[in-house]
Amino acid sequence: MNLEAVKLAAADNLWSALFPELMLAGLALLLLVLEIVLPKKHHVVIPDVASAGLLGTLIGLFINWNSSLIGAETFNGLIHHTHQGQMMRAFFMICALLVCQLGRLTLARQPMPKIEFYHIVLVVTAAMMLLAQSNHLLMLFVVLETLTIGLYILVSYHRTSTASLEAGLKYLLMGALSSGILLFGIVLLYGVAGNPALPAHSDNAMYYPELTRFLEGNRDNFVAGLGIVLVLVGVGFKIGAFPFQIWVPDVYQGAPTPVTAFLAVASKAAGFAVLMALCGKDGVFASYQALTTPVLTVMAAATIIFGNLAALTQHNVKRLIGLSGVSHAGFLLLGVVASATSVLATNAIYFYLFAYLIASFAVFGVMTHLAGPDDSDQDLDHYAGLAKESPFLAGVLAVGLGSLAGIPPLAGFMGKFLVFVAAYQSGARWLLAIAAAGVVVSIFYYFGWIKAAFFETWTPPADGAPTRPARTPVTWVTGCALGFLALASVFFGFYQGPFGQFLALK
Amino acid sequence: MIAPTLNAYLAVAVLLFAIGLIGVLIRRNTLVVFMCLELMLVASTLALVAFSRYNGTMDGNVFVFFILTVAAAEVAVGLAIIVALFRKRQTIQLDQLNTLKN
Repeated sequence: MNLEAVKLAAADNLWSALFPELMLAGLALLLLVLEIVLPKKHHVVIPDVASAGLLGTLIGLFINWNSSLIGAETFNGLIHHTHQGQMMRAFFMICALLVCQLGRLTLARQPMPKIEFYHIVLVVTAAMMLLAQSNHLLMLFVVLETLTIGLYILVSYHRTSTASLEAGLKYLLMGALSSGILLFGIVLLYGVAGNPALPAHSDNAMYYPELTRFLEGNRDNFVAGLGIVLVLVGVGFKIGAFPFQIWVPDVYQGAPTPVTAFLAVASKAAGFAVLMALCGKDGVFASYQALTTPVLTVMAAATIIFGNLAALTQHNVKRLIGLSGVSHAGFLLLGVVASATSVLATNAIYFYLFAYLIASFAVFGVMTHLAGPDDSDQDLDHYAGLAKESPFLAGVLAVGLGSLAGIPPLAGFMGKFLVFVAAYQSGARWLLAIAAAGVVVSIFYYFGWIKAAFFETWTPPADGAPTRPARTPVTWVTGCALGFLALASVFFGFYQGPFGQFLALK
Repeated sequence: MIAPTLNAYLAVAVLLFAIGLIGVLIRRNTLVVFMCLELMLVASTLALVAFSRYNGTMDGNVFVFFILTVAAAEVAVGLAIIVALFRKRQTIQLDQLNTLKN
């Protein structure tokens, strides 16, 4: 073994560059230690430790936002540090903070061990943060699996509930299937890009820049094309794009509500981060756009149509939000299609993701307060009379749903607007028409939900048995968080910050 | 003795992958589906080793270790979920697991 070579390789391992991920991993272990060390009556502080640690790491990330490493690669090219990566890191940590907060409400209703929930959320978050910065197919596969396996556990976390276990099993089978397909795609790409008989072959074939160079040199290689399609199918499963969305309604319904939120927002965003790294204008598959663009276009159109039509008939709000999430994945795919020709579309996608995060968590926060011990049973009828009983929750719900529907002047409207402008610039006209029709349909089911909360009155059944779960009172921390999310939805509708320059550049 | 070529290995790998994929799609017993999923991973492993040998790089062989680890973790979690579900429902046939319906 060549010791010098090993030393040289190890010198590239800049552990300080990964301080947010390492902090989260350390924090996750600390929680388990605290559970053993602390007496049982002090266990209530452990979720606080998780939230405080997350908040501290987030602040640390902001302080170190413009670190000198931006643009550099560490760990022998496994990790590429970019501004987009920093943004996604912050995105996932905000998600984790909110999931932990919602988790407290849901876990309080269950006779379940509680600490492991926060532990797994932190590990999954760290994996997502690495995923957004990965620069190597091996890294991509390993962190994708780390987060998926963590999510299997989280989905089936209520293991006394059949619904949760069933959702976990379905997610497991679908997730493992997609991982298998993705892996085979990676193997084909590795095999063909390292083939010594082909021009521009590479000894480091799984490293993105080398792979990009190979694909540029071999623009019509069948095996490479097959590998690309298999990778796209694998990622398509994760983001719930048609025709790989079959798991979405069942899994979203059965999973505990905070985990549904985690799946809907963070896991989807992780999928899109990968998709943009692969299919964007400067992405790895850029030289195969003749293949990827049609595939993504058809996928986007079908996803928007299916998601919106299927959501129309739903009565369970978790299924409804799941299927509406499918249609949001379709709108985001529209942005990815546009990003193949314009770099500016990438900005639109990031803004859309943040607007979606803010609006979704507002809605999921309200859902958590209305759910009972049976977490999968959340019906539209349960929302009747919410405006009278709790005007605050009803208001947050209205803002969140309005933003998801894309009502001006909320952030969701601006997100859709930016993506649509990007799509218009890139010339995807008929896809844009489908998306616009999808928005109109989506307003219908979002307003059905708002109507239930504002204009319907709740009449208890005559025999006195309550048929809907009791509502959880709003604590001041969650109240502040929900109020903040609602205000943010309004605020970002008027002010888009650096994202707004996108419009000026037109 | 004739040494098998890269294509022979790849043919076996593709065959294994196809058997696994078809099995996942048509079989209704969760455990059999789970085995088919493992078959898909094994197919990738075989193809990786063959490619690694043919290309003369070690990346593929190293990747196999990661796949083994990931597959073990997946099986551990998966079997735990299956056992918990069997205790609840006394069945693991996929078509009988239909609690989640609109």
